Amino acid sequence: MMREKLLQAIKKSGIETYSVTEKCTEGAELYFIKKDLDMRRMKKEALSDVTIYRDFEEDGKKMRGSANICIFPEMTQEEVDKAVSGAYYAASFVKNPYFELPKGKKEETVLVESSLCGKSLEEIGDAFVKALYSVDVNADAFINSSEFLMSKTNTAIYNSEGIDVSYEKYSVSGEFVVQCLTPQDVEQYQDFAYDDLDTEALATQAAQALEMVRMRAAATEAPEKGNYRLLLSGKELRDLMGLYVSRASAQMIYPGYSAYKKGMQVQGDEVKGEKLNLTLHASEPYSGEGIPMKDLQLIQNGTLERIYGTARFSYYLGVEPTGTYKAVKLDNGTKSFDEMKKAPYLHVVSFSDFSMDSFSGYFGGEIRLAYLYDGENVTPVTGGSVSGNLLELQKDMVFSTDCYKDKNYDGPFAVEFQNVAVAGR
Amino acid sequence: MKVASSERIEKKKPILKKLLDQLLQTYSYASILMTDSQGKDYSISRQGINISPNMFVEQGYVVKVYDGESYGEYSFSRIEESDIDTILEEVKNHVMPWAKQLPDGMGIKKYPQIPDEEYQFDKSTEYEISPEDIGDEEIVKRLNALREKALAQDEKILEFQTRFEYQLYHKLFLSPNKDMTQNVMWASGMLVGLIPKGEEMKMAFESCSDCGGMEVLDQLEKKIPHAVETLNRLAVSEPITPGEYECICAPDVTGMIVHEAFGHGVEMDMFVKKRALAENYIGKQVASPLVTMHDGAAAASQTASFLFDDEGTVAQDTVIIEKGILKTGMCDAQAAMALGVKPTGNGRRQGSGHKAYTRMTNTFFEPGTDKVEDMIASISYGFYLENASSGMEDPKNWGIQCLVDVAREIKDGKFTGKVFSPIVLTGYVPDLLKSISMMSDTMELAGTGYCGKGYKEWVKVSTGGPFIKAKIRLG
Repeated sequence: MMREKLLQAIKKSGIETYSVTEKCTEGAELYFIKKDLDMRRMKKEALSDVTIYRDFEEDGKKMRGSANICIFPEMTQEEVDKAVSGAYYAASFVKNPYFELPKGKKEETVLVESSLCGKSLEEIGDAFVKALYSVDVNADAFINSSEFLMSKTNTAIYNSEGIDVSYEKYSVSGEFVVQCLTPQDVEQYQDFAYDDLDTEALATQAAQALEMVRMRAAATEAPEKGNYRLLLSGKELRDLMGLYVSRASAQMIYPGYSAYKKGMQVQGDEVKGEKLNLTLHASEPYSGEGIPMKDLQLIQNGTLERIYGTARFSYYLGVEPTGTYKAVKLDNGTKSFDEMKKAPYLHVVSFSDFSMDSFSGYFGGEIRLAYLYDGENVTPVTGGSVSGNLLELQKDMVFSTDCYKDKNYDGPFAVEFQNVAVAGR
Repeated sequence: MKVASSERIEKKKPILKKLLDQLLQTYSYASILMTDSQGKDYSISRQGINISPNMFVEQGYVVKVYDGESYGEYSFSRIEESDIDTILEEVKNHVMPWAKQLPDGMGIKKYPQIPDEEYQFDKSTEYEISPEDIGDEEIVKRLNALREKALAQDEKILEFQTRFEYQLYHKLFLSPNKDMTQNVMWASGMLVGLIPKGEEMKMAFESCSDCGGMEVLDQLEKKIPHAVETLNRLAVSEPITPGEYECICAPDVTGMIVHEAFGHGVEMDMFVKKRALAENYIGKQVASPLVTMHDGAAAASQTASFLFDDEGTVAQDTVIIEKGILKTGMCDAQAAMALGVKPTGNGRRQGSGHKAYTRMTNTFFEPGTDKVEDMIASISYGFYLENASSGMEDPKNWGIQCLVDVAREIKDGKFTGKVFSPIVLTGYVPDLLKSISMMSDTMELAGTGYCGKGYKEWVKVSTGGPFIKAKIRLG
């Protein structure tokens, strides 16, 4: 219905170039305080995200302007006409250099294979609730609250260059907070996201979180201020890799925000630690522009293998458009985690909010829980903050042979940095 | 001028009243929230020119019902009279029965019925110049002129991105005793600069915002020299030696401390979950006697100003801290029922497809009586902190994590010209607030930011206050 109105409006305005992403989402949500249901929600939403392009010349140079609009199911034909013609008018002031949209054809709808397919959102929700609370069996450390968001989304992407693709995908995401009351009342936040009925993984995550919050309750002091051999693990590695993913994108390179060039050594010339082997992982069948997504080797032995990105910025740089990526695979690891823990270290397992700024290279955050090994004893510590710069520390990175996997990361469990500043006692 | 009403709301209201009547035949309480919103984001940078919808643009509905013990919601994006039966079926056959089909061991949190005070109004906020009247061409032209002027100041500066965004929204709230409509417009602008420092890119920004329209952008031009000076200092900045220092916080850093370090901890849905230490400190001293803190959509005219929240509670001005004593938190309607208190008009959603939580609005410290120059002169060795970049809450333990981009060194009451960056503020919230020894006689609110609940559920907020002098652990 939305598509018919939209195509009619596009025709009426004499528009030749456009692209559309149409999403229809069914959602079901559960919110708990301890083991009691606090709120349940369901939803049915639809939205078309439309880009209208307009070609023109400016000082003899070919330009392609664009403007985005949202089309909602309730909009009348007149309202859609007005929105589309308004976007076409606005595009004439958007003086961006010309580029080509990806071309394609009509493809069969892809049903993203998953063990969630065929189940109702209520059934999926119930299964994850059961899994999370299956480990909530002790009085000292327990689940304080939780949220479960289940969805089934149908995405259709079509453009003026023949692309007409669609896919259906189920997903589950949410968060939970674990709490421990003694010797001090503390909590830990956790989030989760799955494209499969991976209830076992959620139960494992919850069990580990409960153990971690017990340790945090036992931690009373911040580490002393100074420089440490720092170990980071789990989801922080995904954030660290975000620097390379961001700097290798055409969107960052074209304006000069990133100086990355194909073939360069991203960690510099004097790498004493491990050279990175990083792959961009396709977690959707198509990019937002309808380009079929596939895994791409981004960095091999520390060398940038390719620049990736959307059609516009890829065209400007003369590289193949690939779409943008959320997930990575890191093929590194030369030292077992146990080996990493043989010499004194500070292993931060939980930050208030871990920051990785790809512009400056800065990473860090306030320490919620860390394990400090002084060569004799391991002590849980809390408070103080880590401040490092990946651009300086990337030469000496060593990764664990032990692995970790979540929705957006598959690779080593831990990384070791030398001589990182910690603000503490 | 007042923001005009929505024709869509006028057209849909009779259908929604019928839906409400039908819901009330089954449920003792029901409400409907309708949102009709438009708005655009404009930006110009080396990446090009961008015109796109504002992130909060939507047309949507939320039905909320009470079944005698608990609440459920159904949200959707279209309704005609012929859809009423389908919506009723979804609510009666899917949403509400789900509570009885949960896995063994799970229960239901029981609530009383929402008090439904009678209100009928149709109110609007004011603006001077509508972005829609000005038009895309003129807005792009103004942003471009601003960018060119900023870039012309110094060739070492790689980038000055200019941004303008606005949202114009209309909301209708219907319940047995309420029939309220609000029409609100806010606008904000930003100037984001980048300067290279070796392999790093250092960033500085300036902003402007208000509950209003295009006139807001006029404030940005005069901030260009400060942004240029900051970028040049950042290009030669150094990492700071960790430690506790006497600091002067610029209003944007004060705002981040108010919002991130303290404000999240007094969101009372956290009290219900026993996740906030502040619950034990009501009536107790948590800050210096110089500190009085407000939150409320009616507390200031800024980007988080509105007439009623997303649960139909009329906007308020809540005094959170009075002369250092914690008076109350802020809460949504459901948290208020759980705690036996009155809601404060802080029940907000990212959009119709999202749950309402207790959320901040315009949150700030009242100004004091000191002059900024006297405050700087009073520092023997310390830092002037500005360009707040991000922060994270810790309601349970009142730990601080705030990041700022600029710390200007002060020695013997004078700036040395040295800048340190980036800076992490850590420590224990009451220690910081109790250490406040001076507050400037002027204050500023900034509403260019978005606030998340944890890592999601974004809403527009404003934060700020005066310049403050405090002892802060920096790293």
